[in-house]
Amino acid sequence: MTKVVIIDRNDEICASVIKHTGAEHRRLANRVMEEALEQAGVSFDEISYVIATGYGRITVPFADRQITELTCHARGVYHYVPSVRLAIDVGGQDAKGLKMSCGKLLDFVMSDKCAAGTGRFLELIAASLDLKLDDMGKLSLKSTSKASISNTCTVFTRQEVVSRISEGVPLEDILAGVHDAIASRITRMVEKLKIEPDVVFTGGVAKNIGVIKSLETKLGFKVIVPEEPLLSGAIGAALLGKEITLKALAQGKPVQRGRRSLSESTFFQ
Amino acid sequence: MAWFMGIDIGSGMSKGVITRDGKLVSHYMLTSGVNYRNVSLRLREELLADTGLGVEDIARTVTTGHAAGLIPFSNHHVADTQCCARGIKHIFPSVRTVIDVQGQSSQVIHLDERGQITGFAVSEACASGSGYFIEAIANVLQVKLEDIGSLSLNAKNPVTFTTGCAVFSESEVISRVAEGVTKEDIIAGVHQALAGKISVLNDRVGLEEPCAISGGGGLNIGLIRSIEELGIQLLIPSQPQIVNALGAALVAGEQDF
Repeated sequence: MTKVVIIDRNDEICASVIKHTGAEHRRLANRVMEEALEQAGVSFDEISYVIATGYGRITVPFADRQITELTCHARGVYHYVPSVRLAIDVGGQDAKGLKMSCGKLLDFVMSDKCAAGTGRFLELIAASLDLKLDDMGKLSLKSTSKASISNTCTVFTRQEVVSRISEGVPLEDILAGVHDAIASRITRMVEKLKIEPDVVFTGGVAKNIGVIKSLETKLGFKVIVPEEPLLSGAIGAALLGKEITLKALAQGKPVQRGRRSLSESTFFQ
Repeated sequence: MAWFMGIDIGSGMSKGVITRDGKLVSHYMLTSGVNYRNVSLRLREELLADTGLGVEDIARTVTTGHAAGLIPFSNHHVADTQCCARGIKHIFPSVRTVIDVQGQSSQVIHLDERGQITGFAVSEACASGSGYFIEAIANVLQVKLEDIGSLSLNAKNPVTFTTGCAVFSESEVISRVAEGVTKEDIIAGVHQALAGKISVLNDRVGLEEPCAISGGGGLNIGLIRSIEELGIQLLIPSQPQIVNALGAALVAGEQDF
């Protein structure tokens, strides 16, 4: 997903747009930006500072600066939950754990080598069960007896799920097993960081109530999920952009801008 | 005179073999599908029809593979590692190592001069270490599985995958195709990636030549070349997929259960 957030000087969100990135759309971040500008009712030149973050940050031709997703993410989560000690972010391609204190990033773990334990796992399971990703969480809450699902390889789990269906195991029990499997992997990943509350859970997978519940069972306490869990990286980037601008102004220096071009990326040509 | 039957139910293909006096008499292969019980019964029917035998003529049936325990007429089930070792020893008596590339796993087995297993290593936790990886990429590229080996021999510049995950590799392939990379180069890259995973198993076992390949991977000349590029000379059975079923039938005739 490509997300654009525009904030004003009071940290209020004026626009937020979330669009599928896709193979071709990696070139087209400008279109998402244009949509956000329209939503906010401002022109591109009125934006004081643009920060690009995430996997594709170097392919954004209209950014003033690139900052890693870890930094942006930590900033965004801290904005909403100042008491955060552990931020867990599970997206479509990777999973991250950030150990934080007073907004500072102390340590992190990351897993992007294997699809199991990421949102891709849930996407593929949903597709093979002909379910909408958004419906999985709620359905799984009806389970009375969680099916045992292995948490190794996504490919093998998908086959396992199909054979459970043919054995007549109820769908909600299978989904509960699937959510338990991904929650196990997430917990195992962040265990290295010594888990302590408050834990904030973000990324696309944090939209799944079944995973949230499974994760809470494993951790033994509640996790905090922001209202829009997909946006914390983009919000963090916007906040950092504002801080850079204000710092320059306070020092009486000009704001160091990039050579912005609100156009398609030529990175891939 | 006694006949013995070996049935190997794989994740993709099911194979059956009848032996007599330690020799292969008949073999048959079917797609496994989802009903392993039915597929095993059909295999038996075909084998009996081919040899003109009746159920009562089969002295013992050994099953192996994915669903060995679900076969109703099985007398015993035996691990695929043991069946593979026995089958390959029959085909290549001097063999010391066998690389068995199956649909959902790979294994490398080391044998002593008498054919006893002295060590083995299995890759089964991750699809990228198995034939599935090749099937998935062939599917993305819309290339027939039987063409994939020869296509990859025409590669000029095999791609290197940035991920070791079969699922992520599928998306990577889509991006590469969009960038204009040829099917040949992508397929060759897949073969090299799988050969890399196998080489980890080779090191764990301590590969010793002569070395043979078995399983569906033994049909893929592209994969074979990639493994040989690691510096290994491979013996290739004429029918690599039936090695484990053959081993099961031989074990049925030799062991006291």
